[in-house]
Amino acid sequence: MLELTDLSVHYGTVAAVDSVSVTVAEGEIVAIIGPNGAGKTSTLRALSGLVRPSGGRVMFRGTDISRWRPHRIVALGLSHAPEGRRLFPQMTVLENLRMGAYRRRDRDAVARTLGEVLERFPRLAERRHQPAGTLSGGEQQMLTIGRALMSGPAMLILDEPSFGLAPLLVREIRAIVQSINRERGVAVLLVEQNARMALAVAGRAYVMETGRIVLSGSAAMLRESPHVKAAYLGG
Amino acid sequence: MEPSRGLSAPPGRALGAPIAGLALLAAGVVALPQLTRDSYYLDVATTILMNLALTMSLRLQVSTGQLNMAHISFMGIGAYASALLVTRVGISFWAALPIAAVVAALLAFPIGGLALRVTGPYYFLITFAFSEVVRLFFNNFFVDLFGGPSGLVGIPKPSALPWFGRALTFTTKLELYTLMAALLLVTAAVLVRLEHSRFGLVASAIRQGDLLAETLGVNVFRYKLTAYVVGSLVAGVAGAFFAHSHQVLHSSDFGLEPMVLLVVFTVIGGTGSVWGPVAGTVLMTIAGELLRELHHYESLVFGVVLILTMLWAPDGLVALPGKLARRRRVGVSLAP
Repeated sequence: MLELTDLSVHYGTVAAVDSVSVTVAEGEIVAIIGPNGAGKTSTLRALSGLVRPSGGRVMFRGTDISRWRPHRIVALGLSHAPEGRRLFPQMTVLENLRMGAYRRRDRDAVARTLGEVLERFPRLAERRHQPAGTLSGGEQQMLTIGRALMSGPAMLILDEPSFGLAPLLVREIRAIVQSINRERGVAVLLVEQNARMALAVAGRAYVMETGRIVLSGSAAMLRESPHVKAAYLGG
Repeated sequence: MEPSRGLSAPPGRALGAPIAGLALLAAGVVALPQLTRDSYYLDVATTILMNLALTMSLRLQVSTGQLNMAHISFMGIGAYASALLVTRVGISFWAALPIAAVVAALLAFPIGGLALRVTGPYYFLITFAFSEVVRLFFNNFFVDLFGGPSGLVGIPKPSALPWFGRALTFTTKLELYTLMAALLLVTAAVLVRLEHSRFGLVASAIRQGDLLAETLGVNVFRYKLTAYVVGSLVAGVAGAFFAHSHQVLHSSDFGLEPMVLLVVFTVIGGTGSVWGPVAGTVLMTIAGELLRELHHYESLVFGVVLILTMLWAPDGLVALPGKLARRRRVGVSLAP
């Protein structure tokens, strides 16, 4: 479904991403783990069109989207919340969700999706008229995921969904990601520093360090890998 | 935090608010000539209404995130276009007005299209440079057409309109006030409607995070260009009115100084709401008239007010009541 082939991203002469190849099949959950500054976010920015890759190719559903503008990529069914500003802080929860359905013209279908999202996140339903900026960290993360679902995506890209959250909330987010994947068949590409969470939820994973993929395989296999254990799972 | 408050309609986006605001504006506009027919007050009021069209349309552009320093140039383009259409081509003011507005909007396409490729300080500088180019063009080129440094004179007032067998004339101050009032109310209705539509929601999204909006599928550039062109159309209308009410045009009418005033009005009033520029323009114009005795110090006072606003009310005057109310509410809820 998604295929990155030898993708490179340069900022000036510095290579942030160096010949990275990643695939995600239909209905799969795939994780990219790695430390801060490994190039994970740059990879995402390249595949959602926010930066131009300096080399390589991004194929999504059989279309080469390597040089597309972001808004066209969304229209194709790839939903991505960038790092940094994830929400519109002065907009209410409902308005943020409505923005997520921006590309969809079918009002009835959007209303149905909105109902589903509010059902899935009761806390968002309670706070639907509250400005997003006043939500707690966990609620903001849920709103980010809920908004991504509003576009009715075929594939969801989640950038550090557990960042800054308490362990209990991380578990909740994990359960939500799994249920979205199971019930809707939405493929998920998860980028995480929290390797424990990522390897618990994903079927396969890639380990990225200093711009390159250094290791890949099934999550079960990576959990047993000495390198991953030492570097990411705390021995 | 009780859930009942979370479920109530948020202020500002409630359905009644835009209609109430427009009704209030219309009432004020209609009431003024009942209170006074003094030509000085009518002059000031007409200027306020014209500036309102300019600041409200400037705010439309700011609402997508960027300050267009060339806004006044599109007023100038509308003004010169309308004046020349009437004096040289010989068509009536009523035909020239829409054509002038369209000319301003058509020129806004390539200019906005070029300037909006950059953001932040570069956008500010490009639009400022463009406004100087336009001003110098009117001042130095085609002097026999634009009047050069001595200005374009002899522009007639708007011609009379047939109205159910009578002729509506536009020669007295009251009549010109009425014309500008009608133009402004139509403009305000369109801009307020736009603010409370999908366009307004998306514009606010772009303002709060343009990259995020882009990744949600918004063609940010197209929204910015639309705001630019619609804003320039309104500026063109204001320019045409200006040309035929003042009857004299000079390139400096569309220079940096009046542009800065528009920015001051808009920012002091607040760019977050469609009513911000209304509050800013009305209050600051009245303040300016009261400070007239001070001559050159007037702009000094404006500058100080601008600085104070940015320090203590960065969202402008219209955001103040809400802010104070929230502070009071928090104070009450914290009390034992």
